[in-house]
Parts: sequence; C-alpha cells; structure tokens
Amino acid sequence: MEQYLRNLFLMSVLLYVLGAAASALIYFFKKPYKTSMTGSVMVNAVCIVASGLGGAASAAKILLAVNSLKLINLSSTIPFISLEMNLDNLSAYFVLALSVLVFCVSLYSIGYLSHYNGKRNIGLFNLLYTLFILAMIGVLTSANTVCFYIFWEAMSLLSYFLVVFESEKEENTKAGTVYIVMTHIATALLLIGFIIIYSYTKSFALSANTAAIPGMAKNIVFILFLIGFGTKAGIIPLHIWLPHAHPAAPSNVSALMSGIMIKTAIYGLVRFVLCYLGVQNTWWGVVILILGILSAVLGVAYTSMEHNVKRLLAFCSVENIGIILIGLGVSFIAFALHHQIIGSLALTAALLHTFNHTLFKGGLFLGAGAIQYATHTKNIEDLGGLIKTMPLTALFFLCFSLAISAIVPFNGFISEWLTYQSLFASILPGHIGLNFLAVLAAAALALTGAMAAAAFVKLFGISFLGLPRSEQAAKAQDVPATMMIGMGILAALCLGIGLFPLTMIKLLDKVVFSVGGGSISGQLRGGFLLAYYPLTISVNSISPLTFMLALGVIILLAFIVIRIVGGKYIERRYGTWDCGFEALNSRTQYSATGFSKPIKIVFRALFRPIRKTIVEGDSQYHPEAIIYSTTVTSIFEDYLYEPVYRALLRFSRRTKFRVQTGSIHNYLFYIFALVLLLMLYNRFA
Amino acid sequence: MSNLAVNSNLLETLSVLILLSSFVLMASKRINSYIKTFRIQSFLIALAAGIMGLRSLISEGRWDFLVVCLLIMIFKVLYIPNMLSKTYKNVSYKVEKDFILNIPILVLLCCGLVVFSYFTLTGVDGLSQDVLNLQLVNAVSVIWIGLLFMISRKKAIGQIIGFLVIENGLYITAMYSTQEMPFIVDLGIFIDLLTFVLIMGVMTFRINEKFESIDTDQLNNLKG
Repeated sequence: MEQYLRNLFLMSVLLYVLGAAASALIYFFKKPYKTSMTGSVMVNAVCIVASGLGGAASAAKILLAVNSLKLINLSSTIPFISLEMNLDNLSAYFVLALSVLVFCVSLYSIGYLSHYNGKRNIGLFNLLYTLFILAMIGVLTSANTVCFYIFWEAMSLLSYFLVVFESEKEENTKAGTVYIVMTHIATALLLIGFIIIYSYTKSFALSANTAAIPGMAKNIVFILFLIGFGTKAGIIPLHIWLPHAHPAAPSNVSALMSGIMIKTAIYGLVRFVLCYLGVQNTWWGVVILILGILSAVLGVAYTSMEHNVKRLLAFCSVENIGIILIGLGVSFIAFALHHQIIGSLALTAALLHTFNHTLFKGGLFLGAGAIQYATHTKNIEDLGGLIKTMPLTALFFLCFSLAISAIVPFNGFISEWLTYQSLFASILPGHIGLNFLAVLAAAALALTGAMAAAAFVKLFGISFLGLPRSEQAAKAQDVPATMMIGMGILAALCLGIGLFPLTMIKLLDKVVFSVGGGSISGQLRGGFLLAYYPLTISVNSISPLTFMLALGVIILLAFIVIRIVGGKYIERRYGTWDCGFEALNSRTQYSATGFSKPIKIVFRALFRPIRKTIVEGDSQYHPEAIIYSTTVTSIFEDYLYEPVYRALLRFSRRTKFRVQTGSIHNYLFYIFALVLLLMLYNRFA
Repeated sequence: MSNLAVNSNLLETLSVLILLSSFVLMASKRINSYIKTFRIQSFLIALAAGIMGLRSLISEGRWDFLVVCLLIMIFKVLYIPNMLSKTYKNVSYKVEKDFILNIPILVLLCCGLVVFSYFTLTGVDGLSQDVLNLQLVNAVSVIWIGLLFMISRKKAIGQIIGFLVIENGLYITAMYSTQEMPFIVDLGIFIDLLTFVLIMGVMTFRINEKFESIDTDQLNNLKG
C-alpha cells in the first residue's frame, strides 16, 4: 500500500516537472500566441491532474494511517547535502490543502490567463507557476533542514518573480522589492536557527534528537523561527509586504500565495517548534497568542479601511493568520503544561482554520481576479451592480465572504468555533495570567469576527449591489466558464466542510494525533454535532446543518404566519423618494468610504486619518466641485520601518565614504589589521 | 654532525640578514634602492636555498632544491629586478616623497612587528622548543614588513616591491619551517609571481599614462 501511495505521489511530482518543462519549451521557442495559449491550457491541465493525484495520495496517506512515505532519498558525496523527502501526516495535510487549491486555481488560470493575450509570454508565467508549486511541495516534504532551506528560498524567489510578473507597472516592482527584502531577512534568521540546531545535534535531519540543545539555545532558536516564519506568515508588525505584494501579483498567484504560501510558515512553526524542538516554555505559546491577538485585531481594523479589493484581502489574510496563531498559541501553552487534549483541540482548530482559509481566501482572490478581469479595476469605489452582470461570480463571492466572516453554514464558522472552544477549555484553575489572556483572546476574536463581517458586507455590498459607479463596471461581462468552475469548486468545498465538519475533523484528528499525541474525536459529539465537552462542562454544542434546517423552517413558518395573518400582498411600483432631485444615480449611493467612516472614527487613534476637502469655484458658498479625499496612516510603516530604513541608509552612506574609500592603502590596512588580529587570536585561543 | 651545525648557523645568519634587508628596504626612499635591496634580499634567499639544496644532495641525493635555488637566481635576482629597473627608467618618479608615516616611525613599527610575531609564534604548538623558532620569527616578520611597506608607499613600484617582499617572506617561511618544499609547489609560486610582475609592469605604464602619475591614491577616482 505504501508503495502505491508513494508512486502515486511521485507521479504527481513528475507531472508538475513535465508541466514546467513544457512551459519552458514554450517560453524559449516563443511560439505564436495561439500555440502558446494551447500550450498553456495543456500545462494547466497537467497541473490539474497532478494536483488531483497529489491530493488523493496525501488524503489516502492520512486516512489509511500508513507509515510516513519515504518519497526520495538521494544522498550525495558532498557532505550534508542529500535530497530527502518524506510525507508524514502533517506534510500530507498541507499537501492536501495545496493540491485542492492548485486544482481550482489551475482550472481558473485556463480562462484567466487569456487576458495576457499578446501582451506577455505565458510560457514564462506557467514555468514560474509550476516551479512555484514544486518548490512548495518541496518545502512541505523536506526531511532535512538543508533541503527545507533550499526549497524555502526557491519558493520565495519564484514568488518574487511572480509578484513582479506585470513589471511594466512601477508599483509592482516596488512591491516586489519590499517583499524580497522582508523575505530574505526572514530566511536569514531561519538559516541561523538551523545552524544553531546543527551545532548542538550534529545533524540536519528533521528526525534528529533535539534533547542535546540547552534551554537557552532553544529559546533563541524559537525567537529566530518565530520572526523568520512570522514574516512569511505576515504577522503584525512583520506584515508590511503582504498589502504590497498581493495586489501586485496576478490574481491566480495571489490566490496561491495567500492561500497556501503563507501557510507554509504555519507548517514551519508546527513542524519545527512543536515537532522538532518540542515546546519547552509556556511563554512561547503566550508570545504566539499575543501576536495572534494583535494580528487578528489590527489586521481586521486595516481590512475595514481598504478600498482596493486585493489590498483588503491581503489585510484580511493578516487577520486570519492571527486567528490561526491564536489557536496555535493556545495549543503551545497547553502542550507546555502537558494538557494533551486541550493542546490537540487548539491545534485542530488552528490547522482546520489553515485549511479553511486556504479554501475561502484562495476563492476570494480568484473572485477579485474575476472582478478585475471583467472591469479592469481593483478599486471598489468604481464598482457596483455587478450582481446583475456577473451573477455566478457574485454568488461564489458571497459564499466566500460568508465563510470568511464565520457565518453558520460555512466552514469558517467551524474552525473559529473550535478556536473559541479551545480558548474556553484552556481556562483552568491556577493559571490566573493565562486565563486572563484566554478571556482577552476570546474577546478579541469576537471583535475580529464582527469587524470582518462588516468589512465583507462593505466589499460585497459596494462592489456587487446597487448601481454601477463607473463605465467599466456597467459594461462588465461574466467571466469564462473555467474561471467559474474553479471558484465554484472552492465555494462548494466551503459549504461542504461547513455542513459536514466531522469528515474533515476526523481526518485532521489523525494528523494532530501524530503531532501532539492527543486525539479529540472521541470527545466530540457524534453525528453532525460538534462540540468539545469534558465532563465537567455542561453540554456545549452546535450543529451547522440543523442550524441551517432550523433557519429554513423558521423562515418558512414566518412566511406562512405572515401570509395567514396579513393576507395577500398588495404590490405597488414607484421610484424611491429622491429628496426632490430629478433622478437617483450611482453618485447618490452609499460609498465604501462612507460605510467605513464610523469604524474610522472609533479607531482614529490607530488610523490617524488625514482628511482633505478642496472646494473649487468662485466662493465656497457656490462650489462648482468639492473634492474630498481621506487617507489612513499606516503606523507600522511610518513609525517602525521608516526610521529603521532611514538609519540604514545613513549608515550605508557613511560607510561608503569612510570605510569603502577606494584607496588601496586603506584596503591593505584592513587586511593587515585583520591578519594581525587573527594572529593574536591564535596566540590566546 | 658538525657539518649540520655549521649549516644551521649559516641558515640562521641568513635569516637574520634577510630580515635586516627588509628593514633597509623600509628605510629607503629612492625607488632605485628599493630594487637594489630587493635584489640583495632575493640573493640571500637563493643562498639559503642553495645551502639547503647542498645538504639534501649530500644526505639524500636530491637535487630539486638546487634547481629552485637556480630559479630564484634567474627570476628574482636577475629578471624581475631588471624589468622593474626598466619600468623605473620610464616613469618620472625617482624618489618617494610623501609617506603615510615618516620613516623613523615606520622602522620602529617594523621592530614592533618583529616583537609581535615573536609573541604570537611562541604560542604555536611544536615550534616553541625548536631552533626553528627564531628563523621562523624572522621569516614571518618579513611578511609583515612587506605588507607594511605596501601600505606606506604610494607609488606603484613601491607596491610591487612590497608584494614581492611579502612573497619572499612567505617563501622563506615555508622553506625554513619544512626544510624541503615539493618542487611542484615552488614552480607554481614562481609562475604566479611572474604573471603578477608582468601584469603589474604593464599596469604601471597604464596608470602612468591615464593619470599622468603612478600615484595609487589617484585610483580613488575609479570608485563607483
């Protein structure tokens, strides 16, 4: 059985490689547009098949509970460099998420890429795209840190090239620069962590025994990993690359980046901190929990201020990473205190939210791409009324929005519910500080949920409802069928997991069992009910399916009662009251700025909004035009990164003039001084 | 046995003389005398190599050290100094005028370097007990002095001589510490050195042409 699964998985990898090779051929031979378009369809089809095989192999690996699959083991004569790839439960789970997303995104890409018609070499795009997927699979399955590092770096570089793919726009190259600087600093920290581990264990293998590492070193390594992976995940205050890079990248790439690439950081945290180092101190979890709360609340606050669809979604990713980290933090705390069950429950919540976020955030980015494809704009103030011209896209977008706002019959609710459950369950007698933190986290989570819902009401309402606010929005046409199917599958999965959560949780339970050693499926109520209940707490359960059925029944009953009591409708048709104007047009509608204004006022200490009103005309009592603009200060960029950046620049300039003088004598003197110092060191060492 | 002792004495004397020659080099101002001092230093090294060569010929019947001695004679004593003299005639600078520090201080620094290398080398395992120690200290000091020479001189020929002195220092360090170097390593070093001198010879002309001076300070302008 293992052999079959291994071959199945390798076949999927091989297919990706084939896809990459085919795109490379298309790229280098620069075939005419029609051929390259056919080629692109073929490559995407190959990716679809490959992701199907990979996903099937990973799911089977988890469900059949076989031993971890040794995929590839190539050792070389160069010391420490050996290509080792294993697929254990944790890897398989993330590969499953990756495969599901790649399946849908590739399907979507078939239609989406046609807008590069004659403008860009699609071969290059597909080459980067397939290699990017391969690199992510490499990251998720590496069995030693050298491999992991190489694939991680490859993933970062390839995603950089994808971010700057539409390089003709200046803001895209700038976004790419911010991204690559951040990701390289993070990767450097990871490398330092790996080397510290190696210096104690003398092995790069992930199966190495880390008991030899002293506690202080473990703490340092943890902090390095937290910053390193945290930057990739986009936790606040390391998130600044996300709102730049996601709008710059093509939408299918942002779906992959936000959907799964930032989750490789979650994988990294679980893999390296939980499985590899072992949670040593309670404060590790506390730090993660606090960062999670910060990211969730601030992320959602910035989400509600954004009017660029993709920037909004990028900030929303920060928020969701925060929610995942809250779960992860609780589980780290619980594992440090040896509460296996609570730890496992929280880990389940975090991993489930990871998977769910992959589905709906991937879907939302695809939806944003569809809007952009149809209207060529990312600014929601220019949209409106799309529900009439793009009904299916609107439906799917609504599903994703509901899911991400954790509304009941969708999957986002399940994972947030589990996160709440784990927070409540982690309130134990004797840990006053931790209990306080858990209560605080629950409150923050509630605030986050409400504000996320508000942000998505705004996003959906302004872009899809009402009247079109611009020419392009009025002329929008629905997107090609392949794009629709790609989004549709994701929407169906969101609903499916929401209605039948236990299928997913049973699968996840096996993963968590192999990681944390605790199993929670026995503690869950059977059927569709879903609740964790230790015997001391009263029954606490909710069933999404029953909930939805009940909702339907209530609506139906209400309808019937109203019909019985109120009798038949009297239908009247006339225009809405228009304050004496002649006709209502799109300018009289509620705007996104107006919608988010209350939140801006409530949190003005955070946003530091800048308002500008310019009255044009002879007198301000007879204005010809009034221009009103408002911007939000991003405090992290202005008060944290700007000073650091300026100091660095100043330091570099000084170095250039004082140290790197260009004088041979100076350079010789550096060598002289260094060799003398080394001799001295040798004397005393 | 007494033969060997005489040899050791000779070698020791030679090593001191080589060190002395680098002091002389440091103290001189005229580019002409740089070249002469370098020629003398190389001759002394050739002598040391010759003595070792004779010893190995008598005791083991090996002649490769003698070949090395011959090569030093040809290249370092005759060819390279001659070529540098030719370069010297073509450029207008005859006397070095501005130093980074003045000559007495530089000579004092050289003394300091000898003390420093004595201090650092006594810590090296396996060297402290042996007679080799003092010879090695002298040899390593030559390297330091060569580097300091390069730093203190601003003209291109001074830099070339400094580099050659460093190389001489490295060579005698290797020779005194191992007593016999593989022939192939010697050859490699010689080829390196020749290429360096050829390239620098050409470069000096170029620098002279481009900046109308061989003052290496002017190379600052090349910085990006």
